[in-house]
Amino acid sequence: MPRSSTWEKVEPADWRSTIEELRDKGFIFFDFLTGVDQENVDGSNACEVVAHLATKDLSSSHFVSTQVFGELPSITDLIPAAQWHERECTEMFGIQFIGGSANPLLRHEYLGRPPLRKSTVLAARVLTPWPGAAEPEIKEDGRKVGNASRRRQRPPGVPENWLQT
Amino acid sequence: MKHSFIALIEDKCTSCMLCVRECPAWCIHLDSHTVDVTDEGARRPKKVNVLDSFEIDYSLCMYCGVCIDVCPFDALAWDEHRALVTTNREDMLLGIEELGPSGSS
Amino acid sequence: MTRYALTSDPSVSVEVVSASLACCTLELQVALSSGALTRVPEGDVGPSVIVIAGTVTDALVPSVLELIHSYPDTKVMSFGACATSGGPYWDSPPVSKGIDQFVEVSTYVAGCPPRPDAFIQAIQELSVNGAL
Repeated sequence: MPRSSTWEKVEPADWRSTIEELRDKGFIFFDFLTGVDQENVDGSNACEVVAHLATKDLSSSHFVSTQVFGELPSITDLIPAAQWHERECTEMFGIQFIGGSANPLLRHEYLGRPPLRKSTVLAARVLTPWPGAAEPEIKEDGRKVGNASRRRQRPPGVPENWLQT
Repeated sequence: MKHSFIALIEDKCTSCMLCVRECPAWCIHLDSHTVDVTDEGARRPKKVNVLDSFEIDYSLCMYCGVCIDVCPFDALAWDEHRALVTTNREDMLLGIEELGPSGSS
Repeated sequence: MTRYALTSDPSVSVEVVSASLACCTLELQVALSSGALTRVPEGDVGPSVIVIAGTVTDALVPSVLELIHSYPDTKVMSFGACATSGGPYWDSPPVSKGIDQFVEVSTYVAGCPPRPDAFIQAIQELSVNGAL
């Protein structure tokens, strides 16, 4: 684990230049690049892209993040090792990396939606009866006459009226 | 403590449904009903939940312990129960009787 | 393929074929080398148990079936939550929801992953039931 790590949030326009600057400053160990869905954080359909770079001796490391709406310039010409991560990010989060590789990584057709986005609803969660929807029942003579709470509960990850839309 | 079994201490359960709703595998099923109980000297009766059934489907359970963590009344606990091996998948659905902690039986 | 006998009861021996699909396999390896089982010379009767250890995805079902069908009289053990029901991936579209949908299962072992003693217990119960 690096002894000191810094976090930096940049504009998408400064994404490439920040990475290039860091690389030239000696942060030549590329650890990873991944997406972080921001939907439940700020309600937008944005996705954060985070890259982690470290110095060769791992004594110092730098996290760079940027908020992305759909596309971001690729950094594969600066750091070739980032290609695999960008392709994964494209498949899992639906982020297009301009100038990056167009080869799919696993090529699974997933309803045309990126599987790691929170907005991608898993049908099994909708179709399986959620045990958490039950409430303590009010019974008379052993028969159910109502529920103790009128608040309707939905399982996590299933939007309201998802089947109807 | 071996993390080999999740036991239910029935007396402590208030049927609050927290474990059922937090379970990532949806493997807990709970059924309960509400009764009015009038304490001596109380002006009006209070509502009390009575546990009817509590089932953990061990064919789905991933032993993550979230249910144990969220239970506000410590009605669920890790237990050194026997490892669960069955010839029928249905037998992995354990009810209140089978879920009792190992010391109690 | 290696033949193992129960250290506590050498008359019970099993030859295990394992479909190593995910992390449960590691726990199976621990069980096989835990000391409760002893390696014995291979017999000529062939394997006694096929252990499906790990997540079976729909894409892998044909390969798993091929493995099981290549040992016709061998018992199938569903080792862990994934093989039994999909487990933590019960809501994932590419994962099949239990191998008992397409093959007859003799023993289910609960756990995510199952503890090594659960595997030993499963072998014992199979032998008590006369399945081995």
